Amino acid sequence: MKAATTSSEHITLERDLTSSGRFFTDLGTAITKGDLFVKLSILWWGAGYARRKQFFKAIAMTLLEAAVIWFTVAFAVQYVPKIGTLGTVQAEQVFNMETMKTEWNDYDDSFQILLFSVLSFVVWFAAVLVVLKNLVNVYQLQRREELGLHINTFKEDVSTYLNEKFHVTLLSLPVLGVVMFNVIPLFILILVAFTNYDQQHMPPTALFTWTGLTNFINLFGGGGLTLTFGYSFARVLVWTLVWAVFATFTTYFGGILLSLFLNNKRTKFAKLWRALFIVTIAVPQFVSLLLVRNFFADNGIFNGMLTSAATALGIIAEGTTLNFPWLTAPGWAHVMIIIINIWIGVPYQMLIATGVLTNLPVDQIESSRIDGASTSQTFRYITMPYVLFVTGPALVTDFVKNINNFNVIYLLTQDVYTTTNQALANSQATEVDLLVTWLFRLTQDYYNYKMASVIGIAVFIICAVFTLVAFNFMLSGDKEGVYN
Amino acid sequence: MEKKPINTKQLVKDIFRHVFIVLMVAVWLVPIVWLVVTSFSAYDGRDMTNFFPKEWSLIQYQKLFTPDTVANFPAWFMNTFKVACACCVISTLFTLMVAYATSFCDFKSRKPLMNLAVILNLFPGVLSMIAVYFILKALGLTNTHLGLVLVYSAASGLGYLIAKGFFDTVPRALCEAAKLDGASQARTFISVIIPLSKPIIVYTIISSFLVPWMDFVYAKMIMNSGISDMWTVSIGLYNMLDKSLINTYFSQFCAGGVLVSIPISILFVIMQKFYVEGITGGAVKG
Amino acid sequence: MKKKLSALLLAFAMLFTLAACSSGSNPGSAAPNDDDNPQQTQSGSQGGSGETIALRVWGAEEDQALLKDLVEKFKAAYPDQTFSIEIGVESESKAKDDILTDVTAAADVFAFACDQLPDLVAAGALLPIDDQMDAVLQNYANKTVADIKSANSEGSVGSATLDGKLYAFPFSADGYFMFYDPSVISADQAKSWDTLLDAAQAGGKKVGMTLASGWYLAGFYYGAGFTTGLNADGTTSMDWNGTSPSGVTGVQVTQAALKIAAHPAFMPVIDGDSSNQIKSGSLCAVVSGCWDSQVAAEAFGDDYMACRLPSFMAGDKEVPGGAVASYKLMGVNAHSKNSGWAMLLAEFLSNEESQVARYSARQLPPTNISAASDPAVAADKGVAGLADQSANASLQAAGGKYWDPVKSFGEQIAQGTIKSDDASVQAALDDLVAGVTAPLG
Repeated sequence: MKAATTSSEHITLERDLTSSGRFFTDLGTAITKGDLFVKLSILWWGAGYARRKQFFKAIAMTLLEAAVIWFTVAFAVQYVPKIGTLGTVQAEQVFNMETMKTEWNDYDDSFQILLFSVLSFVVWFAAVLVVLKNLVNVYQLQRREELGLHINTFKEDVSTYLNEKFHVTLLSLPVLGVVMFNVIPLFILILVAFTNYDQQHMPPTALFTWTGLTNFINLFGGGGLTLTFGYSFARVLVWTLVWAVFATFTTYFGGILLSLFLNNKRTKFAKLWRALFIVTIAVPQFVSLLLVRNFFADNGIFNGMLTSAATALGIIAEGTTLNFPWLTAPGWAHVMIIIINIWIGVPYQMLIATGVLTNLPVDQIESSRIDGASTSQTFRYITMPYVLFVTGPALVTDFVKNINNFNVIYLLTQDVYTTTNQALANSQATEVDLLVTWLFRLTQDYYNYKMASVIGIAVFIICAVFTLVAFNFMLSGDKEGVYN
Repeated sequence: MEKKPINTKQLVKDIFRHVFIVLMVAVWLVPIVWLVVTSFSAYDGRDMTNFFPKEWSLIQYQKLFTPDTVANFPAWFMNTFKVACACCVISTLFTLMVAYATSFCDFKSRKPLMNLAVILNLFPGVLSMIAVYFILKALGLTNTHLGLVLVYSAASGLGYLIAKGFFDTVPRALCEAAKLDGASQARTFISVIIPLSKPIIVYTIISSFLVPWMDFVYAKMIMNSGISDMWTVSIGLYNMLDKSLINTYFSQFCAGGVLVSIPISILFVIMQKFYVEGITGGAVKG
Repeated sequence: MKKKLSALLLAFAMLFTLAACSSGSNPGSAAPNDDDNPQQTQSGSQGGSGETIALRVWGAEEDQALLKDLVEKFKAAYPDQTFSIEIGVESESKAKDDILTDVTAAADVFAFACDQLPDLVAAGALLPIDDQMDAVLQNYANKTVADIKSANSEGSVGSATLDGKLYAFPFSADGYFMFYDPSVISADQAKSWDTLLDAAQAGGKKVGMTLASGWYLAGFYYGAGFTTGLNADGTTSMDWNGTSPSGVTGVQVTQAALKIAAHPAFMPVIDGDSSNQIKSGSLCAVVSGCWDSQVAAEAFGDDYMACRLPSFMAGDKEVPGGAVASYKLMGVNAHSKNSGWAMLLAEFLSNEESQVARYSARQLPPTNISAASDPAVAADKGVAGLADQSANASLQAAGGKYWDPVKSFGEQIAQGTIKSDDASVQAALDDLVAGVTAPLG
């Protein structure tokens, strides 16, 4: 710190320095008012730092720049120029008798082009942000130098990442993970909806290319690729919503009721009961659901037990068997799926509700009791509003999760349920499919990635609209403020 | 029972209450009991008429531990365990890091980032599977357990909301005090907040530990070499119920299911208290 | 905002690893075998090309032990070459699903059911057995493609051929026929569905058959002279809603099937559940294949019978019970790194010796003519039943859009949800054909 600046002067200067809060304003200032080295920073990222003797930073930025350039030259140029066509060179092979190997030409792989181009764009987008941010930073350094303020040493810079910039340290790796395994796949998904990536156009053998909005037009009845696709979409969508509503609310209220029941003072061995219910969550879903599916199979043990019971009671004649289509007929299967979901979901919701109920405002309940309120009144006017208030947002997320509840439907119905609705069958759908299981089947069995992507986008829009509406409706005000 | 004069009406009510609970528990446990008893059956396939096996035996467990060409349960179990442990560490770290940053740190892009996370969570995961697969392939990580770990944990930062909810309930005065003592943000996080967060840490550990045991879709896609020694428990057990195998492996599937469920159940029952506190602390905020 | 900057620092570090990994190997040349496969990198090589040939084979779960033996024999047959051969599990009926997700990651040699051939060929997953492969086989295995074609049954070669090109080696016949219990049903009664069902009812037993399947149901229609076909663009053609060359209408066939399904002694079996049903003891006859021979012997007694499917009356014409002729094939991945050796291995795993070994291990009927004429094989009732059926069995040509609609149609017949009057059946058939013949999309 320079002796020339007194403490109060120092503070005023620091305040002058604080950025305007608007990135582009800062950027504009930096570009117009920056010195040569600041401007040079666009070309040589380390220039500004080197000028202010922040050599470590200068080296780091130079290396980073070199890395980006290397990435572009060695990697990105192979793919990005082909993004417009998604490749033109068809795969061709020649067998080499000498080596006993097949030799391939240098063919284009549309999916690789798409994937790596998206990756390159993400990297370049990041690089541009770095350059711009860098400009602002080095201009700040310039200003500090002009004003005679202290310029951080490398060590001080590092220590800021454990203090005021600690969030950067914390967030960088998780954000990177999300970008790699969530954001980039997502971009791909969205882009595939605008291509003809399907079984006839499967890389590496065939190329696929851009088709604009064709897939969307086909889905909503314009194109007529499959006559029944629109019909099937509507049917599946309705069941998806019905399922999500039932699945969410049955388990939610079931869980609350069960936990109230177990929490009651008059219930003995509550812990034991609770533990027994929890066992059903602890069995992995693919085990418990596949088991239940065999339990309720047409020729499964449940029908077998019913048959023996009915025979013993003389309801049915000896030798006849009861074959209730628990999971194989429309209607039956719909109800059973929701019931089985209750079986799976209620213990989980019970756990949550138990936790919430232990935090109940006891004084309120006591006072209401003194006022002569009955148990049901207490429940209705005090317990329930409290629980709803606390778990409301979770209810919304549960609903979205259920719209995308792949496991329950897939494990219970895949290979078991055969539709008798020809129109649905013609579009590879069934009455019990959710949008996600349908799109999963379209990709897994029919490689119809383009339509699956369109459905995926539709699912997203439905979820987004619902979430927005629900949150606006349920959350009056920002609860964060209560604590912060 | 109670020392008060016995109230007959109350007593009848209590009896009904407990009968009801026992009935509920019974209904809930029927499939689980079936799982357990079938695993002790001497018969390999599905017995369609008898709930309890005609002949009891430990043979299914014995078979499970003598790997054959289809089933190599010990290897699957170890694979899954390794993946689950790695997953657990990464996911827990990521979740807590994101939760701390969004709850305690004040920075400009906090809100936009959180909104973005909400949006990202809305896309159906099964669809991006194929892209994830090719990303892993580009990294040379298909058919490796590291690839599985990455798939299960790399994006775990998105599941930070419950942990954030928990952190939001931690009194801010604690942090102020630590700051006054000259502690850095990092110090505060590690020595003040983390020790307070036992429930949410336990919750995160359990939930992330469970993921590799539960998932079969991604696992099946990523471990696609057909070499069954590399599989996780879920691919292996799922495969046992293939049409061509179910009649010889159904009871083994049950035995495998029991073996997987035992450690998880114990974990759950012991950690129940923390689990409930964790998820509730989070749910309070959502 | 500075958060981003540093996050990106890290992002780049990782992205570069990615770039490094990818630019090293051209995506096109990414081979089925992982480069980090330890077995592959250790090149302890002498003789042959001096290079260890790494191959991966996919076979059914039940075949794993057999494959291990055969692979050892293969290595012994080429002592000058060092191999590193891995054996993976992939059920023959689902091989396509995993292969097509990423052809370049699939095994070098894989077994699959012949109905998957069109999809695999369309996706470029199968290496055609062309003139060059003929030369390879001549050089190393001392046989020509023509030898192999003539050594195997005509139908099996046909099932492995598309547009005149042979794409795989057949190694096992996989069709269906009928098992029955001679203590309930006489050989004469087994000749037509009417007498069969009546006899079963009289005996208090049932006749089981899978209807909800594009494979089983097609038998009714193929038997009456109807066809399905695979077009060049991958779509399916189907004439079931019209009149067959033998003068039977699809409506009549469907009505006959509805009548059979409605008979009290008929039991629709879920696809893949036949052995369970046989075991349950409620059946006296079942339409199934050699994979159920043992179960049938246990349930129906050692004197169980196997024969062609019964005939049925369509209108006033008697229609023979048809079936789909199916085979299991051994194919080579077009993207195999060592395609020549993979071809030799595939041929080896399907040659006469291997087929005999496979029969003794699993009682699966060989397609190799001389292996099939082996007295032990020929005496097998299942094999004989399949041979009996083969007179009325036709190859099935169908694209991807065929299966789901027909499965649903079969389920409708099984459940009797189609009204049996002419107009309703015609409408149902028209819907079916519309679905099956729809363009891909």
